[in-house]
Amino acid sequence: MSDIAAMSFEAAMAELERVVRDLESGNVELEKSIGFYERGAALKAHCEAKLKAAEERVEKITLNAAGEPTGTTPVEGL
Amino acid sequence: MTTLFLTHPASLDHQTPDGHPERVARLEAIYAALRADGFAGLLRQQAPLADESTLLRCHTPDYLARLNAMRPVSGLAQIDADTCLSPGSWEAALRAVGAVEAAVDAVLGGAAGNAFVALRPPGHHAERDRAMGFCLFATVSIAAKYALDHHGLSRVAVLDFDVHHGNGTQDCLWDEARAMFVSSHQMPLYPGSGHAAETGAHGQIINLPLAPGSGGPQMRVAWQGALAQVAAFQPDMILVSAGFDAHRDDPLGGLTWTEADFAWLTHAICDLAADCCNGRVVSSLEGGYDLAALAASVAAHVKVLMERSE
Repeated sequence: MSDIAAMSFEAAMAELERVVRDLESGNVELEKSIGFYERGAALKAHCEAKLKAAEERVEKITLNAAGEPTGTTPVEGL
Repeated sequence: MTTLFLTHPASLDHQTPDGHPERVARLEAIYAALRADGFAGLLRQQAPLADESTLLRCHTPDYLARLNAMRPVSGLAQIDADTCLSPGSWEAALRAVGAVEAAVDAVLGGAAGNAFVALRPPGHHAERDRAMGFCLFATVSIAAKYALDHHGLSRVAVLDFDVHHGNGTQDCLWDEARAMFVSSHQMPLYPGSGHAAETGAHGQIINLPLAPGSGGPQMRVAWQGALAQVAAFQPDMILVSAGFDAHRDDPLGGLTWTEADFAWLTHAICDLAADCCNGRVVSSLEGGYDLAALAASVAAHVKVLMERSE
């Protein structure tokens, strides 16, 4: 599953949605079903890691009294 | 009283493609495990052929005709990507049904306290009008209908602890008010059904989806609640779809049950049976694809059945 590491969040999310849809549709073979689930779990972990990294980059834009942006401060509690 | 063990060499003539997990070696592993001294007390019998008319208790004539027409003279006839027919499959599947019905007869007639049936192919994915998931006939559902309609029981419970949802049993018993069906299974996983919201036409179906990676503690909580509901239903007999692929070593499942968990659940089922139906339990093999885990888990299951039939 090394290909997952290079995936964008959007690509991983789209494939995860596809895997979940396939698993729930009953169209996945019994023998291959566990592999689908494992790929889904790896995709989910990748998406979560991407989200976490994105959250760490989010900063709050500070505004002055006139409502104009003056700079940023780190966001806490995410 | 004793525990009845039913099987038949015809089960070894149900062939699947090389590398297929549902293979002859599964039964050979079970036979080897049950040759140990501790199982000398089993009452061993050969599985009879079921009367083909009994298949109509659950399947449509159209489905049976289609399946019959597919029977190969040689080689394999592929039904879907998972499921196939070999020349010996029809007899093997028919003996699986015959075995569970014979076990019902024996337990109701007092010849045995409870029973374990080990034949292939498994049955709990077979729906009224389609074979799927390695399964041809809805073996345990047919036996449930047989117990109700042939023996005149008022209520039966079918308990399924295979790692995959018993969609076929759910399909066959969906509108059968006299049969309570409980299935625990990993979700998401094949076949994709088995949400808790699927409760049957009479609220008599209980689905217990289990999270991937979960193990004995989660299973025990889920089953304790469900078994209390089965007790309130007051079944006259309990049939078990005994799949052992929730074991942590199984290649087709992602749960982490151990032999001790299968033993615990078997005891819990026997406790319930002792309270409501004189201990009458008939258990039939479904899945389980790691040979060592399957053999050890079946041994744990049968050992408890033997202890409880004494």
